Amino acid sequence: MRRLTLALVAVTLLAAGARETAAHHSFAPFNLEAEKTISGTIKKFDWTNPHTWIWIDVSGDNGKVETWGIEGMSPNYLGRRGWSKNSLKPGDKVSIVIRPMRDGSPGGMFVKATLADGRELRPTGQAVE
Amino acid sequence: MRSTRIFVLAFAAALVVLADRPATAQTAAQKSPPPTAADWAALAKLPDLTGVWEIGPGGGGGRGRGAAPQGPSLTPAAAAKRKELQSLGREDNQTANCVPPGMPGIMGQPYPMEFLLTPGKVTIVIEAYTQVRHIYTDGRPLPEDPDLKFHGTSVGRWEGTALVVDTIGFSPLTDLAANVPHSDKMRIRERFTLTGPDTLSIETTVTDPDVLTAPYTTTRTLQRHRSWTIAEYVCQENNRNFVDDKGKAGVRLDDPAKTTGK
Repeated sequence: MRRLTLALVAVTLLAAGARETAAHHSFAPFNLEAEKTISGTIKKFDWTNPHTWIWIDVSGDNGKVETWGIEGMSPNYLGRRGWSKNSLKPGDKVSIVIRPMRDGSPGGMFVKATLADGRELRPTGQAVE
Repeated sequence: MRSTRIFVLAFAAALVVLADRPATAQTAAQKSPPPTAADWAALAKLPDLTGVWEIGPGGGGGRGRGAAPQGPSLTPAAAAKRKELQSLGREDNQTANCVPPGMPGIMGQPYPMEFLLTPGKVTIVIEAYTQVRHIYTDGRPLPEDPDLKFHGTSVGRWEGTALVVDTIGFSPLTDLAANVPHSDKMRIRERFTLTGPDTLSIETTVTDPDVLTAPYTTTRTLQRHRSWTIAEYVCQENNRNFVDDKGKAGVRLDDPAKTTGK
């Protein structure tokens, strides 16, 4: 089922012109076939162009904390779809679904986030007026 | 003798006058006299393209919904070139390094653009990469030997309810389509037509005798968003994507504090 969903996402992105959806770069560094969920504490949220970056501290099994960098759509794009620079704040406990980096480094492309209060953040949706 | 002296003086004076006005300013001064109140009032009679527009859901995206399914029809040389470029397996192009795509790609971005109408000119303020297009509608001809620009050089005219724009002179750093470089003969004609109170159709036709065997036409539909404003987009602000000289794409995850100072 998950594989089917991913396939549908990929087809939809291709149909929409995936390059343009990403705005300014290709998806090559990310594994679009994979999905990974990371949980931790927001360290910093870059509300910057050309992409937002979520920096999240994740505790490993050995207790060591590693900072992951998650690339999202631009503030311009997200800001018209209900997000703001305050959507994520340092200290927020959050779980984020990502397409991980192909090279295994601690990063990925944002899919969705769920906050401790159950609030969910997605990068898509109808633009608001 | 006296008449010769007068002639020399007049010639020298003419040189001084000419030297004092850069060629471009001189052209602009000749082509664009100061707008009158009537010129401003005449704008109200034109199709109202003003405001902030974005490609709507299903409105075409970068490839154009109205694009022929097979894409541009290429000459044998251009087809061979595309095959050669595809075989390189480049993962990305220079937009990853914040170089704007230029025409025609800049008109297909998932960001809004604002149309401004002033006497003798339509200006398109493009949010993506903070770009701008200058379209002169004052009747001037296209230049004979234009400098090569990312957006070329554009002139427009009003044909009934449509704004028709012709553009020539594109930088070799821009592409006609993915893996399809253009020649110096590429021309782009765009027809901007209001199809509803807040919908705009842009039909784009690319011709290039060295690259295309037939005109390549795509159509996009844009929605007007009356409450939107154009936002800042400085690509270099925090760009962590890159493509290297061999076309390998990557992401810089180093030092989260580096680019924002926090």
